[in-house]
Amino acid sequence: MNGVHDMGGMHGFGPVEPEPNEPPFHEAWEGRVLALQRAIRYTRTFNIDMSRDAQERLPARVYLSVSYYHRWALGLERNALEHGLIGADEVAAGHALRPGKPIPRMTKDDLEGAFSRGSFFRPTDAQPRFKPGDRVRTRNVNPSTHTRLPRYARGRAGVVEAIRGCHVYPDSVMTGGGENPQWLYTVVFDGRELWGEGADATLRVSIEAFEPYLVAQG
Amino acid sequence: MGEHLIAVENTPARHNMVVCTLCSCYPWDVLGLPPVWYKSAPYRSRAVMDPRGVLGDFGVTLPADTEVRVWDSTAETRFVVLPMRPAGTDGWDEERLASLVTRDCMIGTGLPKQAGTSAS
Repeated sequence: MNGVHDMGGMHGFGPVEPEPNEPPFHEAWEGRVLALQRAIRYTRTFNIDMSRDAQERLPARVYLSVSYYHRWALGLERNALEHGLIGADEVAAGHALRPGKPIPRMTKDDLEGAFSRGSFFRPTDAQPRFKPGDRVRTRNVNPSTHTRLPRYARGRAGVVEAIRGCHVYPDSVMTGGGENPQWLYTVVFDGRELWGEGADATLRVSIEAFEPYLVAQG
Repeated sequence: MGEHLIAVENTPARHNMVVCTLCSCYPWDVLGLPPVWYKSAPYRSRAVMDPRGVLGDFGVTLPADTEVRVWDSTAETRFVVLPMRPAGTDGWDEERLASLVTRDCMIGTGLPKQAGTSAS
């Protein structure tokens, strides 16, 4: 979807402000949200694509005005509601009103697995359509659903630089098509292809592009 | 995550910088929690269009003819920048060299400390 989360190339957000000696968390509740997010992933109720999608569907004014971990908490709440782990009445009450949906039990022996990222690589018999050096163009598409093709890189000519294997296809996960694994490529663009004649001539930008995002460019 | 972690090497001709314009993808397993600025709208919006301006916010200026290569982490591949070895470090062992490497230079928004400034 063409949401405010898709920020590449936007103006008006001001300078980057590094914070010297930044602490891991600025408030104790932020660590709790991180722990919740990690713990709930262990239940396999929703995956990383669904977590991103839930945040992207937040109202734009909310997405832009809340802090990072607050946004995580709102996305988590939305997914927990939509997947029936909690009820709206329980959110309003601030506590459980009935026994929860059964989920797998996690013990401390499972902690390492719960905190490491899963693999998104999927073996396939399909051959990749493109190879390094191929000239390609990204599709000009504007799906209202989740996609990992940023707006600034749509309809642009680039070059395949590397094949990264066959991976879970986020666009499919969020439209009911399941993992539908696709070949993934690093595709590199000249800055002027993305930003026009006035762009920095020394700039090159790459995205990680799933095969359905690409068409061959003669 | 190892199978999807990609190290990109800085050279005299090319400086690499990593961003996630769509969310906040970051090589957590090797660099830990990302700093707030990495996840912020200013960085996510500007890194792909004006990386030299962003580097300026970090006090970093690159030669005008150095290629600036920005890696937008739009899938589950993760990137870490391998900084250039600073001058005056011939014969240094791994531990001493590591003392010059900062988190920011592995994101691409910083350069390694110079040999003379190392605590070791």
